[in-house]
Parts: sequence; structure tokens; C-alpha cells
Amino acid sequence: MSIQVDHISYTYMTHTSLEKKALDDVAFTLEKGEFVALIGHTGSGKSTLAEHLNGLLHPMAGKVLVDGVDLAAKTPEAKAARNRVGMVFQYPEHQLFAETIYEDIAFGPRNQGKTEPEVEEAVRSAMEFVDLEFDNFAQRSPFQLSGGQMRRVAIAGVVAMEPDYLIMDEPSAGLDPISRDSIFGQLRKIFEKRKMGVLLITHSMEEAAQYASRLLVMSDSRLQLDGPARELFTHEREKLEALSVDVPESVKLAEELRQQGLPIEGTPITKAELIRAIDKAKGWKAC
Amino acid sequence: MLTDITLGQYYPGNSCIHRLDPRTKILAVLFYMVMVFLANSPLSYGILIGFIVVGAALAKLPAGLLLRSIKPLWIIILLTMVIHFVTDPGKVLWQWKFLTITKEGIVLGVKMSLRLVLLLLVSSLMTFTTSPIVLTDGIESLLRPFKKIGVPAHELAMMMTIALRFIPTLLEETDRIMKAQMSRGADFSSGNIMKRAKNMLPILIPLFISSFRRADELALAMEARCYRGGEGRTRMHELVYGKGDALTGLVMLGLFALLAFLRWGLPA
Amino acid sequence: MEPIIETKNLTHTYVDGQNQEMTALQGIDLSIAPGEFVAIIGTNGSGKSTLARHFNGLLTPTSGHCLVGGLDTAIEENLWTVRQTVGMVFQNPDNQIVAAIVEEDVAFGLENIGVPGPEIRPRVEKALAAVDMLDYAKRAPHRLSGGQKQRVAIAGVLALEPRCIVFDEPTAMLDPRGRKEIVSTVLKLNKEKHITIVYITHKMEEAILADRIIAMEKGRIVLEGTPKEVFTQVDRIRGLGLECPLAAEVANALDKQGHQLPPIITHKELCEALCPSK
Repeated sequence: MSIQVDHISYTYMTHTSLEKKALDDVAFTLEKGEFVALIGHTGSGKSTLAEHLNGLLHPMAGKVLVDGVDLAAKTPEAKAARNRVGMVFQYPEHQLFAETIYEDIAFGPRNQGKTEPEVEEAVRSAMEFVDLEFDNFAQRSPFQLSGGQMRRVAIAGVVAMEPDYLIMDEPSAGLDPISRDSIFGQLRKIFEKRKMGVLLITHSMEEAAQYASRLLVMSDSRLQLDGPARELFTHEREKLEALSVDVPESVKLAEELRQQGLPIEGTPITKAELIRAIDKAKGWKAC
Repeated sequence: MLTDITLGQYYPGNSCIHRLDPRTKILAVLFYMVMVFLANSPLSYGILIGFIVVGAALAKLPAGLLLRSIKPLWIIILLTMVIHFVTDPGKVLWQWKFLTITKEGIVLGVKMSLRLVLLLLVSSLMTFTTSPIVLTDGIESLLRPFKKIGVPAHELAMMMTIALRFIPTLLEETDRIMKAQMSRGADFSSGNIMKRAKNMLPILIPLFISSFRRADELALAMEARCYRGGEGRTRMHELVYGKGDALTGLVMLGLFALLAFLRWGLPA
Repeated sequence: MEPIIETKNLTHTYVDGQNQEMTALQGIDLSIAPGEFVAIIGTNGSGKSTLARHFNGLLTPTSGHCLVGGLDTAIEENLWTVRQTVGMVFQNPDNQIVAAIVEEDVAFGLENIGVPGPEIRPRVEKALAAVDMLDYAKRAPHRLSGGQKQRVAIAGVLALEPRCIVFDEPTAMLDPRGRKEIVSTVLKLNKEKHITIVYITHKMEEAILADRIIAMEKGRIVLEGTPKEVFTQVDRIRGLGLECPLAAEVANALDKQGHQLPPIITHKELCEALCPSK
């Protein structure tokens, strides 16, 4: 069970003066049950790539296979396969439209042809994941909520479709630290319970290092790096720098400490790891 | 992909036609339109066609570009011609069942469609050589004297300016919302008209809400930058008539006199 | 020196959608000196944007006072002077650019205050140069990157030659590159042009650049001081739903383990504290 991106290329506005290559021979596999972060600057092609993963765009060369089904095919199987890939766009709260939170979240499941009892079950479960109490929120208007809550409704609208794969484009953009942490906590919970394949598009190395087991780095329409986060931050520092991709703050701090003579071991990619590494280097016992 | 709407069909350049004051161009176009209806002989039409040819040459517009501006309306032009061919009474040239084609019909048909073509060409000549922004300035300036009788010249111009600024932004937004709803299984292409209209709601409602939000924020930002309506406002580009504008005015008057002479002869 | 912005027991209430009276700001007393760089931090809904909107008269206090350059913002006649003294840059760069050509947009404010036509262009060019956007004067704003659009918005404010600029989460919608562009522009305006900066944000990496930080919660000022004074109170800041710099958080965790450390907020300070031999 996986999304296979098989050497795809895509060019915008072909045969015009504005022709722009967005994807150039990109290949990787996203397994179900895997949490991957996709990193790259604006214009690197990462959003175009995301739109290929649920068939909004079809590659000009190569194929995207979801559980072995080519998304570009005009068959019912291809449609079903597209439906298994959920997509949360940037600022998803800007797509809310229904009068009640229930109706908005139910939009996707209804389009999938679920029966009303199934729809309600899906909505309840999705709302639970994003910590919106059903009895309290279901009948309220989504437009009276705070920004963070509106975003959670929008995410629930995708989660309710019970996708096997979830693509998220900067789900924390514009949120304050506390809303960001709560959204990532909820995401983690959904991921662990449903064992989906998650592709997180982000600019934040801290988010990538903390949540993803594997990183994809895009630049100039190409996939430049693909590997476990720690490995890239340890062995590919030069290449990351050349692509002007940052590394987590804790990696930088660990390096500075090491330069000052504190023997920090390994590459601590999160704050917790860094604290442990400092304790170890200092011979302190963490309590 | 949509062409850049802020440019409209503006064909950037720096010819003497491009440099003319927008007010001159607007007035000249209006004047030309009157002359089109004054023309009644092949010679007068020839003069009007000549005017366009000379104008396009001075503006250094590719001929194909100008002719392409007829394309969106060619069906109407053709229809005008055909209807006149078959409906006008007169000397019958050809008859088949209830269809009769008359000499007068042909003459009138050609004349009418030629008029339409000329009107289209002359307005395109203006829009090709004037950016919508400059055109807005021209319209505002020309309408200003009518403010006393309640024409909101400044407000109209400000609305046009903001529309030009926000149309691309809203188009992008529409595209984004559409993709997002398609990802949630929305279907915009099947069902009857009622169903399709209903299917558009998940796009239209977010678009409306976002437009209101933008309008709200824009109003705040404008106020923060000391906007308080058209009263006491100055402009960076103040429109000034130059020699070219005077010359254009003279040419237009000359042409008008010529066409009036061709139609009515010398006043007794 | 007379403060450029001063609030005295400023309170702002409004009536919400359900007809309930809500208090957005409660008894705010603060004073901002000319040339200062002040960051106001807080989560969404803490009242920081509402406060910022009082600084150039977009909102007026329900009770108490807000003075800009000594002028009360609640008095109608002062409004235009107030808005020329304090400019404002908003979060969404798209929604504050009025015209479809960059230079026309920068000229907008100057046209509003009736600057004679021939004087406008030099001021527009100066403002665009200050934000490094002179090469883009004839471009259409929607073709620019987020950071570039935001710099155009800054130029539009700068052209009015304000003594103070309020930035309301100017980087919230930008990518890292755009964020850097804006942060360095803001610093340049403060250090080189000596423009007073009030910077609203919830990002600690941006707040730390300020001379003084004011933290808000539920419409009140709850913490105030230099970055070091504020960010060494790690638990307090966390309790407000915000973050501290990594070095401060690490030091705080080590401190809790019983290892005494001096106040720390930067990498350098942590290195010095942990590697005293060097």
C-alpha cells in the first residue's frame, strides 16, 4: 500500500513565453503508515507535486500510482484511488462554506456516496480527532469560530473522508504556538490511530524534525534529497546549505556547543534530544 | 490560463499614439464614432479606414493584432450582413423560394457591418495603446466637470482601480477554492442546471466571504494611509495636454469637416 | 523626551455577534519613546492587534486615552496628523495594496494627503529605494512574491514619512525568505532611519530583536521588559501559549534538573555557561 511517484514531470503554460518547468523527473514512494515531510522554497515545485498526488494535476511524463492504480486513468478505480488521498490546502479555513460545522465536515463523506448514518459516524469521529466536542459544536456556524478552530473544522472535513493518505500544505501557517502545537498533537493522534501515509509540506525544520521520520527536499523542480531526517542533518549539511535549507535550531546549537569544547554526541534534532545530549556530555544525571 | 487582466489588451509601447493623453484618445474615439454614422459614400468610408490604418501604423501595432480584435464579434457582424441581405426590399438580384436578395440589401448589409468593424477597430486602437490604469485616470478627469450634477467621478475611478488590482487575486483564489473542493469530491460538471448551480455554492460562498474579508482589510489599510475620498486629493501623474493632443484635435476636426462636406456639400 | 505613543488606562469594549459586550483591552498603560523598537507579543485573541489599531486612530478607546505625539486620537481633528505620524503595515500583503502598479500604490498615501503632483515621484522613489524595490516600480503587485508585496506595502507607508510604524504580524503569511526580507527591512528602518517600531507578533525569533517586549493576555499587559528579562521567564511565557528561544528553554530545563545557570536567551550565552573553560 503506497503512493508511488514514478518519474513525473510537469510544465506550466507549455509553448508560451511563460513556459515554466515545475517538476522535473521526480520519483519517490510514500508508504501507508509513514510520516514524511516535504521541504522546499516557494517556487521549488512542491505545491505542484502535492496536486499530482490526488489527481488534481496529471503528469506530462511519468505516472502517479496509488495502491498500484494510475491516477490519470479514466476509470472508476482511478476515481476511487483519488478519493483515498486527502488533501489539506494552505489556509484550509478559507474553503468553509456550510451553515453548520456538521454540514461542512459532511460535505466530503456525502460526495463519497456514504449513507447518512455513515456520514454522521465519520463526522463524529473526525470532530473527536480535532478536539471539537460534537454536542457543543456540530450545529454551530463555522464562521463564528476562532482562526485555529476554523482550521480544525477544515482539517476534520478532510479527515472525515477517511483517507489512507493525507497531504497537508503548511497546516500551521499563521497560527500562534499554542494552536500550532494542538493541531500537530491532533495530527499525530490521527496518524497513529489510522496508520495513514502522511506527507507534510512545511517551511519549518523544527516541525519536520519533530514529526517526520523521513524528509524530501525539493529545489528547482527536482527532488534533491530523500532520507531519514537525522541522516540528512548529519551527513548532508553541505548540500542542505547549498539549497539554502535551514537545519533545526537544536542541531545548530549542538554544533556551537561542540565547537566550544562540550563533547555533544550525535545529532540532536529536537529540544528533548539536545537536553539529553548536554546532560550526557556534562556527566549530569537527568532527573 | 487567463491572460493578464490588469493589462487588458494593452500592447505596451512608446509610440506617439501611446503617449497621447488618455482624454484625447477617449474624445477622439467618441468623435470617430459620430463620423462613422456621418459617412455615406465609399470615399468617406475609405477615409475612415485610412484613419485606422494610419493610427495603427503610428502606434506600431502588428496588423494581425488589430484584426484579431474583431474575432469575438464576427458572428454578429456576419449576422448583420446576412439579415440585411435577405430582408431589405429593393431591386431583386436573386430569388429562391421565400429568399430574395436585393441590391439595396447588399449595399446596406456591407455598410452596416463595415460600421461595426470600424467601431470595434477604433476602440481597440485606443485600448491597445492605453493601459486600463491610464484610461481610468482619463475617465475620471473627463467626468470631473459632471460632479456637480452628481456623477461620482472619483469613486468610479477608485472602483475601477481596485477592480483592476484585485481581479487577478480573486481569480487565483477561485482556482484554489475549486481545487480544495474538488479534493473533497465536489463535482462541478454533472447534473442539470439547477443541480450544477447548487454545486457551485461550495465555491461561491467561500469566495464571497473572502472578498468581504479582503474589502474590510483593504478599507482599513486605505484609511490608515489617510484616505478620505476624492476631496483634496492630488495625483502623481497629472494629465497634461501636449502638442500631440492639439494636433490630434485638429486632425479630428479636419476629418469631421471633410466628412460633413462629402455628405452635405458646402453650406449654402 | 515626549513619548511618541502613550496610553492612559486605555479600555476598549465592543458588542459581539450575540449582542454581548466584550472587553478587548483592559486598562492599558504604556509609553513608547521615539526611536524605540517595541515588540508586543501574545496569542491570537490576546488583544495585541486591537491595541495596535489604537495607535493610529483606526480604533479609539471606549474609555481612557491614547495620545500620539501628544495628540488625543479620539479628537476627530487630530486624526490626519495622527495617521501621518504613525503608519501601519498589516498582515496580508495582498489586502493593503490598492493600485495595480507598484509605484501608483506607493503614491496612494501621498495623493491622499494632497502632496503636489511633482513632489510625489521623488518621495515614491525614495520610499521604494529604502525597501530595495525601486527596480519593481512599474510591476504589477500580484506578480511579486509575498515578501516583495509586503515591502511595497512598507514603502507605501514610508512615503508618508511617519515617525513611527506599527507592524501587525507582517510575516505571518510569508515564507522564510520573505520573513527574512521583512525583518531586515524593519531593523534597517529602526537603526538607520530612526523610525520608532511597534512590532506585533507571536514569533519569539522576531520579538527577540526588539529593545523591549510587552506580553499581552486577555486584553491586559502581563509582562514587560527587555528580551532577556521576558524570555528567561520560560514557564510564564509557555503559560501564555508562546515560545521562548531554544537556548532559554534548554537552560530552563537544565535549571529544573538542579543545575544553576545564569539568565540565558542566546546560543552564545548557553555556550559560555556550559563551557566555562574557554
